[in-house]
Amino acid sequence: MENKLVDHLFRHHSGKMVSVLTRIFGLQHLDIIEDAVQDTFIKASLSWRKEQPKHPEAWLTKAAKNRVLDIFRTLKSQKNNLPDITQGTDAIAINELFLDSEIEDAQLRMIFTACHPKLDPRDRISFALKTVSGFSTKEIASALLTKDETIKKRLMRARKAIHKSDIQFHIPQGKDLPMRLESVMEVLYLIFNEGFHSNSKTQLIREDLCSEAMRLCKLLLKHKQTRLPECYALFALMCFHSARLEAKTSVDNEVLDLKQQDRALWHFPLIQLGNTMMHKAVETDDFSCYHYEAAIAAEHLKARTFEDTNWSKILKWYEALHQLQPMPSHLLTMAVICIQNKDYSKADTYFKQLRPEDLEQRAYLYYAAKADYSMDTNDKKNAIKSIDKALQTVTNNLEKDFLLKKKADWLKNF
Amino acid sequence: MIFVGKEYTDLGLSPEDMQSRMEKWFAWGGKMEQAGILRGGEALTPQIRRIVGKNRTVTDLTSAEVKEIVGGYYLIEAKDFDAVEEIAQDFPDYDLGNTVEIREIMVFDK
Repeated sequence: MENKLVDHLFRHHSGKMVSVLTRIFGLQHLDIIEDAVQDTFIKASLSWRKEQPKHPEAWLTKAAKNRVLDIFRTLKSQKNNLPDITQGTDAIAINELFLDSEIEDAQLRMIFTACHPKLDPRDRISFALKTVSGFSTKEIASALLTKDETIKKRLMRARKAIHKSDIQFHIPQGKDLPMRLESVMEVLYLIFNEGFHSNSKTQLIREDLCSEAMRLCKLLLKHKQTRLPECYALFALMCFHSARLEAKTSVDNEVLDLKQQDRALWHFPLIQLGNTMMHKAVETDDFSCYHYEAAIAAEHLKARTFEDTNWSKILKWYEALHQLQPMPSHLLTMAVICIQNKDYSKADTYFKQLRPEDLEQRAYLYYAAKADYSMDTNDKKNAIKSIDKALQTVTNNLEKDFLLKKKADWLKNF
Repeated sequence: MIFVGKEYTDLGLSPEDMQSRMEKWFAWGGKMEQAGILRGGEALTPQIRRIVGKNRTVTDLTSAEVKEIVGGYYLIEAKDFDAVEEIAQDFPDYDLGNTVEIREIMVFDK
């Protein structure tokens, strides 16, 4: 009996094989392909019980190749016009598709398929996690905090869209590439954020999603057509955030903000990798929002203590980010930074550009910031007024406790 | 030890889940092997051909069509039922509702 398998071997292999087989048989046969790949894992899990192969990955690949022939027979019996792949040059060509570089190419095709504009943006994430990342619907549902049924519907919808629009299984070329790449990066960014920002998930699910997003982003960086500065910036951003993943939760699984985190727990090698990526990202002067977000994250990591944080620099990056991608939440953040910096007149200019309703369900953050602002400028009456408004609109209990405690402190010192 | 219950293929397990179960099977098998009690064992495919009655009626079935199926067995050497029960604690698939049946090979006195 051998030692443990590589972590996530099956999950990753599933994504690889589904992609390669789709390249051979086409997207219209995705259902058969997914079942076939699932079969190879069942076979492995049974036959490996007795004896584990020396090279598990090679075993799985060989099993998948054999499944190609099975699938071919199935399809042939359904009277499809298919080339004879069992012999001759076609058979050699198929063998070549199982080379590592070709597997990566197939996976990229799958990512680009998942991010096709004909797919509903919400369906893209689910479809990518299923086909490229080898997650089951149940795993996707728990990762995205939705019901199993919802994910099943999203996957069905994605598949229908692919059939209906006859989407091709390729990496878009020419002027189609930049636009689609943008959508790909957005999906990876969202998968990462699902992992990084959610407070109600277990550490394990968080790590799974973050590392999956990073793995796929790395695939983009390996390919010469998709190796663009903004991809490097996105990867740098992911490195910087991941470096803090462990420090982000307390022993009791409570979320800790930057002020409370134990900075000794930050993962230094990831910060270094992020820096290297960032250097590559700034080789041209063309900056994306990922550049600015990474710069902000890097600035936070540079500070030895929370008090050392260079807020003026962070504010500068936020201003640049807001110009490129105007968002109410950026304005609020900038106001909070100015309060932190005791630059109250500047904070006021940001508040004036904002309406609390712009922040939708997070309007309480506006009122809470406004309350801090009033308190710091010695306007206690308005501070209490604002914090009461924040308390009326807040829904999260942890946040509510935090605000109540703050209010009590203020009233004591009245 | 005979393993009875649902097949992985009918439960829609994820690749990640299958890998973690398989690792538990490795660990269990390794433990028995190291203890020097493992005498054999096989996993069985989920196809069944059933022959019933004096007419010898034949039906072909798959695991999906039956409530439970024998998925495999381990042949081990142990002192008594209690000793095997102890070993069977490590069976990886109790959480799927699957069962271990301990049976003894009948030994005839000469």
